[in-house]
Amino acid sequence: MQTYISGIPLNYYLSLAGILFSIGVLGVLTRRNAVIIFMAVELMLNSVNLVFIAFSKVLSIINGEVIVFFVMAIAAAEAGVGLAIVIAIHRQKKTSNVDEINLLKW
Amino acid sequence: MLNLTEIQPILFMILSAVTVGSALLVVLNKNPVASAIFLVLTFFSLAGIYALMNAIFIATMQVLVYAGAIMVLVVFVLMLLNLREETHQEIWSNPTKKTVIVLIVIAYSFLLLVSLKATKDSDPTVITNITSPNYEYKLSDSAESKVTVTGNTAAVGASTFIDYLLPFEIISILLLVAVIGAVIIAKKDAVKKG
Repeated sequence: MQTYISGIPLNYYLSLAGILFSIGVLGVLTRRNAVIIFMAVELMLNSVNLVFIAFSKVLSIINGEVIVFFVMAIAAAEAGVGLAIVIAIHRQKKTSNVDEINLLKW
Repeated sequence: MLNLTEIQPILFMILSAVTVGSALLVVLNKNPVASAIFLVLTFFSLAGIYALMNAIFIATMQVLVYAGAIMVLVVFVLMLLNLREETHQEIWSNPTKKTVIVLIVIAYSFLLLVSLKATKDSDPTVITNITSPNYEYKLSDSAESKVTVTGNTAAVGASTFIDYLLPFEIISILLLVAVIGAVIIAKKDAVKKG
């Protein structure tokens, strides 16, 4: 069974989302700068948004797009708090590399 | 006149190739500011794909919230942390490079515009509890009252404010909490000495 959105098979959208999610995971695992890790997390969120919209279009139900709207709002909140934490840690430790931050190490 | 629906696969291929390429550059680039710029390019390409899927509202939100607000925040934090590399590339002093970059940006904006136009306007957007194919939206608890919507944005709005009203209000409280929390965390007095 092959379902099409705007003349393009659903599998293409899902493959693109999978590739984007993998790139995001690669970024989270390999980079040390906290801001870059944050950007990779945003990439992963966007790939999930793509899956939501693809299935929303295939199933002809609008709920997926509403969920994407909520995901965007939560991503904005996450951006504010996360970057504030990065600034606070940078003020105290003079670094934003996550492997040099061991404040909770006992 | 070229039928725009016939070039949708080509548009999808170009947009997804740019998305994957710029996402890889985000992860692999050494310069954090360049990573941020490539992330903006990724978000714009994804907005083009959303527009190609006839999710116009989400495409607009992608540009406004992700490529606009969140990336401004990220670039602002990068500026505060002063993370950019010592070797500053003089792109804007080279007229050839500057012209090429401006031309690429203009061509890409045109591509996004075409992908926005390539979706059928009368693409039926079916929503839950549909009563007739004429975009009628029935309230879930009372079978008598109906909301009639046409178009993607109106459908998303109706679904948000009828089916997802409580989550929507909770999201607004969450955003308020996030704003207050971000201010308190980033305030200078919050970091006590010792």
